[in-house]
This record gives sequence, C-alpha cells and structure tokens, in this order.
Amino acid sequence: MLDKNIVDVLKSRAEKGDQTVLRSPELRSLFDELKTKPSEDRRAFGQEVNALKQELEKILQSSSAKSQELRKPIDVTAPWDVNSKKPELLPATEGSVHPLMRDQKELLDIFARMGFAAIESRQIDDDWHMFSSLNFPEGHPARDDWDTFTTEEKDKDGKPFVAPAHTSTMQNRILQANKHLLEEGQPIAYVIPGRVFRNEDVDLTHEHTLDQLEGVYVDKGVHGGMLIATLKTFLQQYYGKELDVKTQPFYFPFTEPSFELVMSCPFCDKTGCSVCKYTGWVEILGCGMIHPNVLKMAGIDPQVYTGFAWGVGTMRLTMMKYGIEDIRHFNSANLKFLRQFK
Amino acid sequence: MKISINELKKYVEVDAAVDELVAKIGAQLGEVEAVVDLSKKYKGIVIAKIISCEKHPSADKLNVCMIDNGQKEVRVVCGASNVREGLLVAWLPPGAIVPATFDKDPLMLETREIRGQLSSGMLASASELGLSADHSGILELDQGNPGDDFAKVFGLDDFIVDIENKMFTHRPDCFGLLGVAREIAGIQGHEFTSPDWYLGLNSKFQIPNSKELPLEVRNELPELVPRFIAQAVSGVSVKPSPLWLQIYLTKIDMKPINNIVDITNYMMHQTGQPLHAYDYDKLLAISGKQPIRHAQEKQAVSLETRKARKADKLKLLGGKELSFEDEDTILITSNDVPVGIGGVMGGADTEVDASTKNIVLECANFDLYSIRRTSMTHGLFTDAVTRFSKGQSPLQNPAVAARTIEEIIKLAGGNMASGLLDNNRLDSEVLNRMSVNSPVEVSVDFINERLGLGLSADKIVEILRSVEFVVEVTRGDILIVKAPFWRMDIEIAEDVVEEVGRLYGYDRLSIELPKRNIVPVGPDDLLNLKSKLRSQLSGMGANEVLTYSFASGNLLEKAGQDKDLAFKISNALSPELEYYRLSLLPSLLDKVHQNIKAGFDQFAIFEIGKVHGKSEKDKDNLPKELERLALVFADKKNSDAGAAYYQAFALMADIVYSRFGGVRLESLSEWKLEHKMFSQMRAPFDPKRSAVVYNFDKPLGIVGEFQASASNSLKLPQRTAGFELFLNPMLKSNLPSYSALSKYPGIEQDICLKTSFDLPFADIFNGLDESLRSNAPDDLEIKTSCIDIFSKDKTSKHTTFRISALSYNRTLTSEIINRLLDKASEDLKTKLDAERV
Repeated sequence: MLDKNIVDVLKSRAEKGDQTVLRSPELRSLFDELKTKPSEDRRAFGQEVNALKQELEKILQSSSAKSQELRKPIDVTAPWDVNSKKPELLPATEGSVHPLMRDQKELLDIFARMGFAAIESRQIDDDWHMFSSLNFPEGHPARDDWDTFTTEEKDKDGKPFVAPAHTSTMQNRILQANKHLLEEGQPIAYVIPGRVFRNEDVDLTHEHTLDQLEGVYVDKGVHGGMLIATLKTFLQQYYGKELDVKTQPFYFPFTEPSFELVMSCPFCDKTGCSVCKYTGWVEILGCGMIHPNVLKMAGIDPQVYTGFAWGVGTMRLTMMKYGIEDIRHFNSANLKFLRQFK
Repeated sequence: MKISINELKKYVEVDAAVDELVAKIGAQLGEVEAVVDLSKKYKGIVIAKIISCEKHPSADKLNVCMIDNGQKEVRVVCGASNVREGLLVAWLPPGAIVPATFDKDPLMLETREIRGQLSSGMLASASELGLSADHSGILELDQGNPGDDFAKVFGLDDFIVDIENKMFTHRPDCFGLLGVAREIAGIQGHEFTSPDWYLGLNSKFQIPNSKELPLEVRNELPELVPRFIAQAVSGVSVKPSPLWLQIYLTKIDMKPINNIVDITNYMMHQTGQPLHAYDYDKLLAISGKQPIRHAQEKQAVSLETRKARKADKLKLLGGKELSFEDEDTILITSNDVPVGIGGVMGGADTEVDASTKNIVLECANFDLYSIRRTSMTHGLFTDAVTRFSKGQSPLQNPAVAARTIEEIIKLAGGNMASGLLDNNRLDSEVLNRMSVNSPVEVSVDFINERLGLGLSADKIVEILRSVEFVVEVTRGDILIVKAPFWRMDIEIAEDVVEEVGRLYGYDRLSIELPKRNIVPVGPDDLLNLKSKLRSQLSGMGANEVLTYSFASGNLLEKAGQDKDLAFKISNALSPELEYYRLSLLPSLLDKVHQNIKAGFDQFAIFEIGKVHGKSEKDKDNLPKELERLALVFADKKNSDAGAAYYQAFALMADIVYSRFGGVRLESLSEWKLEHKMFSQMRAPFDPKRSAVVYNFDKPLGIVGEFQASASNSLKLPQRTAGFELFLNPMLKSNLPSYSALSKYPGIEQDICLKTSFDLPFADIFNGLDESLRSNAPDDLEIKTSCIDIFSKDKTSKHTTFRISALSYNRTLTSEIINRLLDKASEDLKTKLDAERV
C-alpha cells in the first residue's frame, strides 16, 4: 500500500499545475522503495506506483487545460459564470479600514467640530510651494533639514518637482484661496491631511513615507496663547483627558516664533512609561505663528492679520495609541497587521 | 551644540540646580538632547605623587611605586614606560571605576597581587581616563596636589548639556558658548555683559605694525568672502596643549591635536567663529618661495581667495584628496596654489605640526549659501561648515582674531610678526553702527497683541537689554531696537516679538481659544467620498491597505506599463522607489503573494490613492493628481468557483450601483480610445476577461482579470481579479431614489430562455427587460433579475430570469404577467433567436 499522505500531497500539487511533481523526491522515493520490496510484494506495489504516476500526468494535463480555460474570453456582461452561482461576498467580519485612515477620520472630526475645514495635501508639487512660498530662500541651508525627494522632470521655472516633505506645501494655496473670508470677517481655519516624503532610510521608527496633518488659522488678533490653547484643546479631545502642554522654542523658516509642542504623557499621566521614555512628557508636533513673509506672499497683510500653523505626524499618534512597535507595518499591506483594526 | 556647565558658569551665574536649568533651556532656548553627568564617571579619582619607583623583583616590564595620596603611602604596581619618581598622577583607588569603561561594561578596581606584589588600584593613562586615545603611558598631571579630587581640579565634576542644533539654524551666535551663556542669563532675568575682549574693548592688547613675516591678502571674491582677516605669528613652539585645554575639548567631543590647533578650536567653541592656522613656511614653500633666512629677503606670503577651477587639486587635513571642476567652491590659495577650502577645511600640505615655527592665523567670514553648496557637492561636513552655513556675523572677526593670537602667544610663545590684515567689503554704515541689520521699529502694542500679553515698555526694554540689545523708547510706546553685532536674525518686528516672548517665557502666555462666529465650515467632497468608500468596502469584507506612492521600474514593467511616462525620482533611496506610480493596481498586485504565503487563502485588498503621469498637467501646469480606487480579490481556495472576474465585479457593483444606478459594461478588448493614462491603467488587465465600466458614455474604470505575464511574474493565484476606478465621477453623491410603497401585493414569475452560448448576457437581459417594459400597462412597475445561467454543452445556454410586477392601484393577476412574458418570448425569438424553455 502506498502512503496516503504522500499520495495526497502529490495529487494536490498536480492539481495546482505544478509540473515538477513528476520529478519530485517523494515520487522518486516510491520507485526506490520498490527495489527494496520482497519479490512477492514487488509486482503489486509496482503497479500501484505506476498507476499513481499516470494519474498525476492526467491531473497535470487537465489542470493545464483548466488554465487554458482560464485564459478564454468571458461574457463580461453576465452577473456570474455559466453553471456557477451568484458570487458569495467575503465575510464582512474580516473587513478593515487602515488604522491611519481610521485615525485620520477621527482627527478631522475633532477639527471639524472646532470649526476647521479639511482638504487633502498634494503628493507632487513644485519647489515654490514646498520652499519659496514658505520663506525658505533659494539655496538656504534650512532646506537641508527637509530631506526632499526631487524628480528628473522640471517645473515651469526649470526646477525639479518635489515629493513634498511637509504638508505646509499647501499653506500658500489655502491662504490665497480663502483670503476673501478674512475680508468677510471670517477666519481661515483649515486642516490638511496628507502623505509626505523624506529621503530617509527605513527602520523601526523611520519611514520615507509619512502621514501628516497640517493646520492653519488666520484672523485679526490671533496670538501665541491661542495657538497653544487650540492645540491643547485638540490633544485633550483626541486623548479624551486633561493634559498639560508646554512649548520648546524651535526654528522653522515659515513661522516666527516657532515651537515644538510637548504634552504630558497621556498614557501614564506623567508617572513614567515606555511611550514617554519615563520622562512624563512627549514631543508631539511642530508649530508657530505664521511668518509675516508667508502671509505677504499669499496676499494677506501681516500688519492686520496674524495666524498660526502646525504640523503633526499622524503615524506617531497612531503608533502611540495602539502601541504599534514598527512603523514599517503601515505600508506593508500585511493582513496580519491590518485585520487587527476591524 | 554641547556646552559644559562649569565653563558656562565662568560667564554667567546659574541660579538653579542643573535639572531646573535644563528644563529652562528646553522651554526658552531649544530642545536639550542629552545631559551627561561627568562627575559619576570620574568619581573617586585622586591626585597622587609618586614618591618612589623601583623595578618589580619578578617582572621586567613592571615597576613597584609608592605613592602619596594625600593621606598615606600606597603601593601600586605600574607597567607604564614613563612612570618615575616625582610624577603627579591620577590614581584610581580600589573601588573606582575605570572611566573609559564607564558607559559599557564598567571595570571596577581592587587591591590584588601582581606577581607577588600587592597593588592598590592603578595609575591611569589618558586613554583609561577617557580623555584621549593616548595609552603610551600614564597621564602626567600639570596641576593639583596629592589628595585633591582629580575631577574637581580638572573641571570634570561637570555636566555636559547637548542642545539641538536645529533650533539654532538662525542663531549663529549660539554655536558659541558665549552666545548660549548670554541666552541663559537672559532667560534667568539676569543682565549679561560680554567680556571686554569680545566687545573689542581690550585696551591692554596692542597689535604691532610688524613686518617680520611679510604677509599679503588678496580677496578676489568680496561677495562670497565679506571679510578675511589674517595675521602671522613667528617663533611658536608647537606641542600638546596643557591638560585643561585638552580636557575642555574632550568634554565637548573635540579631539585635541596640538596647542595651536586646539586654541583655534577652543576659540571657535567659545565664539562660534571658525578659525584656521597655516604653517607659514609651508605656505612659502608651496608657493615656490624659499624660507626666509635674512631679514633682507622679504618675499611675502600671500593668501588669496578665488573660485575653484578645473584641474585644481587639494589634499585635505586627514588625507582626503579632492579635485575640482570650474565651480563655485571658494578656495584659499597661496600664489594661486590651493591651500584650503574656504570655510570648510584646510589643506594637509600647510598643516601646523610639531615642526612648525611660524604660523598664519585666518579668521574670515564666508557666504552661507556658498558654504552649503560646497559642503553638499563634496560631502564635507565639518564643525566650520556647521557654523558658517548659519551665517556668522562679520562684525566679530577682529575681536576673535585678536583674542586668538593673544591665547596662542600665551600657550605657544612667539611674537606677532605682521599686522592684523583686515580685508573686508562691509558697508561703512554697518561698521559704524556695529549692527548687521538696521534698527527695527516696533510698538509695544504690536508685541503685546502677538503674544497676548500686556507687558510695559519698561519690561520689554529690560528683557531686550539683558541680552545686550540697545533699545530707545520714543513717542511713548515706539521702541527702536538695535541688535548687538553678533545677531544676524533681527530684521523685522516679528523677530523682536520672538525675542521678547521667548525670554519672558512662552509658558507665561495667556492661554485662550480664538473667538469665532458660528458660520459652519464646508465639507470636502473628496475626503467624504473616500471615507464612504472605506466603510462600504470594509463592510464587504475587504481590507484597506496603503502602499508606497513610488514603485520600481521593474514592477511597472511586470504590470505592462511604460515607465517612461512616470515621473522619476532623481535621488531615490533604492530602485524599488524610483517612479511615481501610473496606476494603483500594480502596487496591490505586488502585495498579493506575500499574504497568500502568510496563509490568507481568500481576501480582497483595496487602496485609495493618487497616481501621476507626465502627460497629465493641471491648470497651474503642475502634475495632475489623479484620484483612484483599486481593489484586488485573490482566492487560492475555491478553484472551481467560476471566473474571478465576477467576484471582483460583485465587490465593485455595490460601489457603482449605489452612485450611478445601472452601469454599462463593455469588453476591454473592444476599447479603442487612445489615452495615455487610461492605457497605463488598463495595462495589467487581460482584455478578453475584463470590462470597461460606463455610466452612459462616461468611463468609470476597469474591472477584470490580469494578463498572464503579470500573473506569472507576481505569482498571483489563478483566481485573481480586481478593478480600478476614477474617483472624480463619484464626487457628486446621489440620493437613493425612493418610490412610494404600494398597498397592493406584487406578483412574480420566472422565465427561462435558451440562446446560443456566445450571446452576451446583457443582450438577453436588455431585450427581455425592454420588451416587458414597453408592453406593460402604465400602472405596472416591472423588475427583471437573473437567477440562473446553465449550459450543458457550451454551444447553447439557459438563462433564467425572475420577473416581478407591482401596481399602485390594483391587485395583479398572473394573466397580465403571462401575457407580457409570451409577448417577450416572441420578441426575443425574432430578435435573438431565443427559445423559451
């Protein structure tokens, strides 16, 4: 008698159209076994092995016919295949929305409630929007802090297009398009979610493709305390608890003054945990008062109007929220990862 | 920027404990990256004197020393070649940790027997103390008395605070300890006064008009080199620096070289101004001149600046050889021979070394853009580049040069052998004013409005004066603010606001939300659509993925696409990320195999994203962002469940039906339109088993199975199909169409039609539906749906439909529907040669 397990494995491989099954070590071992059989059993065993081989050949033939069949034209107007039935949908319970997009919705909801409209950022832009409109002079070393990908193709000024390294690339457009609101006595209040790109090697905590959420707010009489209050309110909504925030001076060419906003660790309430590296504080975003040159370039008079802007890395928010250990999971399309966010 | 707290305290009083100071620096100067407590590392080390030193009785290379540790005599066995009686040394007693091992794998000393001689602790070399790589012998101390705490005497009872450089992008002055000290005074509310020598008030120090070592400076690039100061010093003796200076540099991670080089680095760390010393005689030699033997032979050494030219070559300090093209790089030359890259690095051939007797000190100012370009072009990232690329003030050079010369003469001897040659192109106005930018006029209100504070003019003036601004108050509340000469960043009123806010403390701003009216903000159709699509598809069991916006040329080819149409990244991290993608599907197909391998037999993954192609520009002449939705269904489990096409179609149907009602499908092989991006989208599909989806005449996308080539190269299961849809046509959402409910029951009847096998389903369905509708009385509402498609022989097929009819004003009888079906059978017989079964 042939080993049923081996026979099953070989047949299922043949069914998948695996031509190597005829030369497989498993099949060869059966022929080798034949030689060692006592002569009285040899004949019957030999017949069985040969029959198996013929059967495998037959399966292979039909499976290749089947694959031929799978390349024939089909009636694309039909709801299902002939002799088949209405396709069953996948189990709804296995469906999932990407965790970053799920969080994006939550963030946009919070800001919508606070009066911020939303618009998505671009994934390819020109040098002017990425840098010049944001008060980065041509060739300025500050540009080096944004490790930017550029294309071989050039824009109308003869400069390469850029893969934006920050969502601030949208600021000038949004200010331009909405400055009429200021004249109507309305603030400009926008959040801008989007993908940004940094020429950076990938590891546990670094990605070249990141998700960011930009915010801009411009009106008469906007001051630094309002920036801090707005961001504090947002963070408290997001984490659903009271938080302390503080600022660290920073430098961005497009804000003056510029800050890094630091919040009390929402996961341990300042008692110390791995998220805040036992400091009780987490650096969460960069922000500042919009530089007057940025307003001017958008046709807004900085003597009359002031505003603030910020950019927050949303991947980091999501990682901290769920305790995701490796940033590379986000763009991996790994179902083991994704299906945990049903 | 690393600073030592002990060194800081030489310039400014520090009120608080180190951790409080660090918190204040973080809140008002910039992020602190690290704080290192050196005293832990040097704990317990004692200065001792060797009183006797004798050969070890049973080991050739060892000595047995008696040392005085200030309290008693102790025996230590030592193997160093320089150990001798009378030496002042650092003694590590039993229980002390060898500092060099402190950070990993600490080694603790003990009393033990070495070849029969009891030895307590050890005498340490500079390398064991973690002060340099020098382990040629024990460290010979030049200060202290037996019994003194080594750390205290040499300033190693210290904290090193590392402040992030990025914060100082616009603050060149903070790349010097003096600048940081000034800020720390300011944030503590102390008034700071720079040392006299920095302010150029050093009256004791006189610069002679000596011509002992003739020197000339020719600056051919006044635009790129606003100031070039040089001075010669003769008769220096080059040797290792005194220990305090070596330790100063080691603490901030700079390597001690020799006294001359160390002083230039020390002064750079103090002031932010990079300096360079050349060997005068090597400059003479390199420019083809003879060393000076007689005072009469006055051949001047010249230093020139010019742009690099093709065929220029230079060996840098450290040995790296560079060759240049015709480029913007600023070269320092001597008699036209390159001797250094201005503001970046000096040349090896004019290096100051142990044989050097005469030097030239350079203290120049360079254009930050040019320095950055050179640094990027040649991949040179030095401490000088870090500082010059922030734009140092050209007003500090004379003071820094004079102080450096003074320090050199103090430590290395020698005499000033030339005048201080100052070649500059600065405006006389700037020089007179001693401030780089014009004074800024700003009102007290302007400052308070932007900070949300109510500071008085006096308070603001006090804050600004604490960091040496000159402020005048006029017309009640107008401030005329003149920045000190080292500040390059004070140009506009907002810069003054930043200065006041930061020094006052941002943590003291009044925290209040903006007041807004209740006009609602508009929704964004695109974001709303995406969000709805996500919930629809995940509700059908599909999984949303995100993949990179960039793809490899290889993947595009596997999908049958033309990579020449894709935007190409010129500085891609790897070939995997070289092209902007032309459609979403290839990236999804690329992710199928890994999930099959991971044990998922049946799944659908989808992505919503943007694609780009060179042929598509938007109204601003920018690459158009094409919004897409793509999905791939893969099934390894049910190989007999019919063509995968229908499964992908079923997943798509809900999305398009809910927005467009019915859609029209046309075989992809019939598709004729030539459109570049559409051809790219269709490239991976097998035209015989795919369809273009239309809403009337407007294409919505493609659904289908994939080309054999894509399927094989990407190892797709046989049952794989997918779709890619344009999002734009879906932006306008339709309300569901509602019809009032009827009070009367409807009726149903099935009909089975036998046709030729190849007759498209749509022809049968539409023929039937049209006939039923056109013949039905006005009050009837007819719905036709398919319930079965069967074929025995693949030459003919039976298609069964279920017809339901409903009226709003009567109860229907089966007669009506039978009559309609009979009529339809006749119609279809003539039209399609269909037979009712």
